[in-house]
Amino acid sequence: MDKIYDCLIVGAGVVGASVFNKLTRIGKKCAMIDHASDVATGASKANSGLVHAGYDPEPGSLKAKLNVRGTALMPEICQRLGVPLKKCGALVVGDDAEKIANLKARGDANGVEVEIWDRAQILQKVPQISEHISVALFAPNAYIVSPYLFTITLTEEAIVNGGEVFLEEDLISAKKVDGFFEVKTKKNTFHAKTVVNSAGAGYNEVAKIFKGEEHPLLFRRGEYFVFDKQCGLEVPCTIFPLPTKFGKGVLVTATVDGNFLVGPTSEDGENNTQVTNAGLDDIKSKAGGMIAGINFRHAIREFAGVRVISGDDFIVEKSSLQEGLVNLAGICSPGLSSAPAIAEMVLELLGFENVEKKNLKKIQPYKMFKDCSPKEQAQMLKQDPRHKEIVCKCEKITKADVISALHRPLAIHSVDAVKRRTNAGMGRCQSGFCFTKVVKAISEECGVKYEKVLKENRGSEVAVGEIREVKE
Amino acid sequence: MKTDVLVIGGGPAGMSAALSASENGSKVVIVERDEILGGILNQCIHNGFGLHYFKEELTGPEFAHRFREMVEADKNITVFTSALVTKIGEKKVEVMGALGVQTIEAKAVILAMGCRERTAGNISLCGTRPAGVLTAGTVQKMVNIDGKMVGKDVVILGSGDIGLIMARRLTLEGAKVHAVLEINKTSSGLRRNIMQCLEDFNIPLLYNTTIFEVVGKDRVEGVWFGQVDENMKPIDNTKKFLKCDTVVLSVGLIPEMEMADFVTKSRVTNGAVVNEFYQTDKQWLFSCGNILHVHDLVDNVALEAKLAGKFASLYAQGKLPPRTKKIPIVAGEGFSYVLPSKVYEGAGQVEVKFRLKEKVVRKTLTAKCGANILGKRFILAGVPGEMMSLTFDKSGATGRISLEIE
Repeated sequence: MDKIYDCLIVGAGVVGASVFNKLTRIGKKCAMIDHASDVATGASKANSGLVHAGYDPEPGSLKAKLNVRGTALMPEICQRLGVPLKKCGALVVGDDAEKIANLKARGDANGVEVEIWDRAQILQKVPQISEHISVALFAPNAYIVSPYLFTITLTEEAIVNGGEVFLEEDLISAKKVDGFFEVKTKKNTFHAKTVVNSAGAGYNEVAKIFKGEEHPLLFRRGEYFVFDKQCGLEVPCTIFPLPTKFGKGVLVTATVDGNFLVGPTSEDGENNTQVTNAGLDDIKSKAGGMIAGINFRHAIREFAGVRVISGDDFIVEKSSLQEGLVNLAGICSPGLSSAPAIAEMVLELLGFENVEKKNLKKIQPYKMFKDCSPKEQAQMLKQDPRHKEIVCKCEKITKADVISALHRPLAIHSVDAVKRRTNAGMGRCQSGFCFTKVVKAISEECGVKYEKVLKENRGSEVAVGEIREVKE
Repeated sequence: MKTDVLVIGGGPAGMSAALSASENGSKVVIVERDEILGGILNQCIHNGFGLHYFKEELTGPEFAHRFREMVEADKNITVFTSALVTKIGEKKVEVMGALGVQTIEAKAVILAMGCRERTAGNISLCGTRPAGVLTAGTVQKMVNIDGKMVGKDVVILGSGDIGLIMARRLTLEGAKVHAVLEINKTSSGLRRNIMQCLEDFNIPLLYNTTIFEVVGKDRVEGVWFGQVDENMKPIDNTKKFLKCDTVVLSVGLIPEMEMADFVTKSRVTNGAVVNEFYQTDKQWLFSCGNILHVHDLVDNVALEAKLAGKFASLYAQGKLPPRTKKIPIVAGEGFSYVLPSKVYEGAGQVEVKFRLKEKVVRKTLTAKCGANILGKRFILAGVPGEMMSLTFDKSGATGRISLEIE
């Protein structure tokens, strides 16, 4: 056995990356593996991007505890990573004062700052609020963040501090050899003292391989609309309806990039991310009940994410079937908010002390040319003339922006991975202008043939070959 | 940097406007975001361009090249490629790209940024989001510029011209184009394209039909498609599955007006509202080509831009005729829009452009002011896909001018 990891993390979503990051920071030798071509390709790329205040979970539950703790940790972590986190507050609106009062009591029980607002106060904050909204609960300590940029940067910071990431890994088998896990994938063999199953929707498949506990999982699909930055919406805070047993309902929020999200729906079923007519119609009618005059012609994209649910609460446990295995199952909402606190809890379960190493390295934050000061821009133009080449016209992304995203600590080679890091392709033309430019940049920089460049995961090659005149 | 006339966009509209502005005595700067002048024409390698403008049949790159040569030979025009305008302010624009980050000041600015394609997101295409769902323009770029095949089994959604052209192109490259699906009861594409690109290759064009759902995890595996009712809602029992690896979208074009959203826009064209000088409600800002309204032929774009360039140039020199009483031009029943939407009282010819809402056979189109007929034109047949025009003398107009079908 040449190398034995202190911990192998299976599943590179926001939860896996948080655990990976934390373990690396306390000096543990870790590896994180995933079947996808990038981190954050499951639920972590397709959610509302909210760091919840924590008024909603049942008091005393793991969700309540981890949400409140995670949200408290978030500002410091994002500051450290250079990931934009915007405190915008959450406003739960309705016409039933009693229900709002009940929600306030929940917030109080969870130790979350909340206040009840009347219509005049609501109108002052959100002039576009619907007519029938008469009362609301405002929680100031709620944030918006890019869930994928957060996951990516957490991962990269862990890599510069000694962590290793292996993507496009297909798990074949796992067994204990001399008290260590021997984990075989199609490409590699890993040896690890402990294993964390943070495989999200794939939790049970991984649990089977590691002979850990399987848990009944429910897949809850949520569809969303993404709106153009110039869509006439004024949403200074995240706006929710009163929560129901199916979750927090269709919300309206700004994103850190300046777009707007309206969704999600809540549909239990298979683990797929399809968008449906019924779902989109549902969003339209529900959102219209909160904000007047949303013009859905300004939608630039629709997507769906799948929340994985197991019972009423998160499962964060030491396996009782397999020594050294930690199970993280059913981390649905508020999973993003809770992720930093889940990482702390995993530390505890593994018996590690939460003492960070000294002299940890910092990660260079993602900063696009257009977001830099004139002085920085002048410097950047001198250093890399490829900042003079425009790749994405909607988001104003330069070729050097794209190339530097390809050469970060976590190697990537897909169009969507570039999109998550730079925003190239996220704009209103939805990559009509930049698609082939990004493909060519990946092809040149990563030494992959144009037609072999992936949109997202293996099997999503952007082309099938060359045209006849090139071939002949 | 300072200039008389600044043209944003170096496609056919921008180049034609720049040449005309220069010809009328102004110093001109063209700012183009791509690496080469020509715009989308560079990827339109099929022929059929230039029949009206050059009186001969050219390919897109040839048409672009002729303009490019004229622009390059014109000493009054300075071209900046790989330069992206990031903001338009009062008589100045901010740019990034090849020029670095800087501001260009101008006495007049011409919007000539063209249009973009409507996307899967714009039409709320249902299903998954795999590789292989592409707009027709992206497919055209991949095939014609990059020399790559996008797929083997193709379904085209929408019968816009680029979709029709790509149906033929992909067929010639060995792909099987199973069908073109059009949600409307008529096509917005040119008649000649339907004949030459679909009928000649036995590619079915199904009207009142759309994709209900895209299927596939990593790559497109097929589509569920079927008919829609009069409200464009899917009729469930007409649903069929078609195996394919590629979905090409040709579902309309949107003028790229977001950067100039401070001017008054038309709800029909999504372009600026302009007067007979192609002047927006900001006097220093002019608009022409596909950013003003989506054209059918590039020849018409070039001709329109020539006018806009001339007027912008005159404005920059303070020579635009003084404004007199404003007279609105309105589109009557059967027209989807008319442009320009206002003229100034006085003598002179004015050419208005319009599109019809539905097919019209053997009718006379008139421009009237009250009972006074200013101009008329007999047409054998007109369809919504084709842009039409009518020229009349406005000297007889004292009030509202209306366009009517008789």
